[in-house]
Amino acid sequence: MIRLLKIEFKKIMTYKVFWILIGLYFLFLILGILMAEFMINSIVNDMNRHLPIPIPHVTIYFFPWIWQNITYFATFRYVLIFPAIIIIILITNEFTYRTIRQNVINGLNKSEILISKLLLIVLISLVITVLLFFGILVLGFSHTANPDAGMIFDKISFIPGFFFTMLTFLIFAFFFGFLIRNTGLSIALFTLYVFIVEPIVYYFLKSPLVFKNGISTYLPVNSILRITEYPAIPVLKQIMGVNLQDSVTAGSCLIALLYAALMVGIVWWIMAKKDL
Amino acid sequence: MTNVLSISGISKHYGKIHAVNDLSLEVQPGQVFGILGPNGSGKTTTLSIVLELVRADSGTFQWFGEHPGKESRKRIGSVIESPNFFPYLTAALNLKIVADIKEMDYDDIDRVLKVTGLYERRNTRFRTFSFGMKQRLAIASALLGNPEVLILDEPTNGLDPQGIAHIREIILQVASQGTTIIIASHLLDEVQKVCSHVAVLNKGTKLFDGKVSEVLSVSDCFELGASDPVALEKWLHTHTDIESVEKKNGIFQAFFKARITPADINNGCFRDGITLTHLSERKRSLEQHFLELLEEKNDQTP
Repeated sequence: MIRLLKIEFKKIMTYKVFWILIGLYFLFLILGILMAEFMINSIVNDMNRHLPIPIPHVTIYFFPWIWQNITYFATFRYVLIFPAIIIIILITNEFTYRTIRQNVINGLNKSEILISKLLLIVLISLVITVLLFFGILVLGFSHTANPDAGMIFDKISFIPGFFFTMLTFLIFAFFFGFLIRNTGLSIALFTLYVFIVEPIVYYFLKSPLVFKNGISTYLPVNSILRITEYPAIPVLKQIMGVNLQDSVTAGSCLIALLYAALMVGIVWWIMAKKDL
Repeated sequence: MTNVLSISGISKHYGKIHAVNDLSLEVQPGQVFGILGPNGSGKTTTLSIVLELVRADSGTFQWFGEHPGKESRKRIGSVIESPNFFPYLTAALNLKIVADIKEMDYDDIDRVLKVTGLYERRNTRFRTFSFGMKQRLAIASALLGNPEVLILDEPTNGLDPQGIAHIREIILQVASQGTTIIIASHLLDEVQKVCSHVAVLNKGTKLFDGKVSEVLSVSDCFELGASDPVALEKWLHTHTDIESVEKKNGIFQAFFKARITPADINNGCFRDGITLTHLSERKRSLEQHFLELLEEKNDQTP
């Protein structure tokens, strides 16, 4: 396993495209997180113009709710798409440069090739999660007066929640990369699916005329993003009442993981059948 | 002795096209084995099958007398079709990845870079290499860790004469260490120059195999006449390297299995008291011979 990761590291350590995309990802992530409060408050300002009793401005960077708020904004499609594109590029490069053939010739099995990419995905998800964890700690301490340990870590379940969101979303990208094998086409179809196809299908299924139950929420990307479904904003709480999520449930992670397992299974089966 | 590679009855078809048709081959240790055939004769498909890139429809093969798998592939160094490396990584880093896959340390990387003349460029990205350098890096990666078997698919394709000479020199040098080499080529000349054994393929079917000296020997043809034709005929029939003798209008046409010069014949006849009245050499080009081989067999199997 270490050997497979060592090989993957060599492929990315001096690969400029990888580092540029990682840099862009963190730029968007940090900007998104830091601007979230400002954006919400400008919406609040808009609403207040029409309301007799103004809604107070929100603060989102205090313990323990910061865990929920930041992971919610960090799992926007617009942000998640960056690491997903990185994974697609790293996978489809192997087909473009035919290095996947060469790796098999030199002594890797097809299963080892899939495992090395999955290991890379797990590792990238872990690293991003750990970085986000420390980022939230710093931000939380600077916005919370006199926090105690219980208060700080009360909503920590959103951190594993974020990890599973990242992991399963990247496995979804892995699925597109290995199935389509062409860099441009995989990125185009993946982006199209995530931003356009699934949202359209979602609203179609959601319409009460079609289905009464919540089947629309079980679409793959929706299942993945539903792990951290809402931010913890007081206004939203007033509207949603008790329905508002206040922790990450094992059930929501399980559904996303089941999708991931299914996709890995399909890729495994096709790779075993198809010539390289 | 265990065969390095045994192929028995392998077939692979793409749609209606039979890329490989019931092919059987045996490669023994130390051989420089050429797979010779025109483009599209199934050479690369055969190599892709034994390297497990492509699955055969039927038939089996064994490496080192064992069921094939990733462990046997680690003992083989291969260059198939084009050189496949990451363009954005340096030559040295690309070779480190190969060493990691083969589970060997990096000690040998400098050596193979020097052998292929790429040592000075080891820290340059693969993208910047010329075609000849790319091909040499592919050979360097195949030589990594002194593999027991070297597989080269059209190793000199697209190279300039100097590059071709360089690669052949490397191949001969590796062969002299006793490494088994399998070369696929459409160049008869190449097979003749470097191989000890050869299998001739056409349209996925094996036409011949055996020692290069036997299969591809240019049976040089001599026309001879003598004052004593009976003695000459007897002398020709008893010659150790004779293949066949034909008599036409008092002139003998003699085909020899081995390389033989007019001086050899003249000397031999003179020693046995035969005076030649006519001696002329007629050479068939190797290419012509190869084409004849293909045609003969095609006539037999329409």
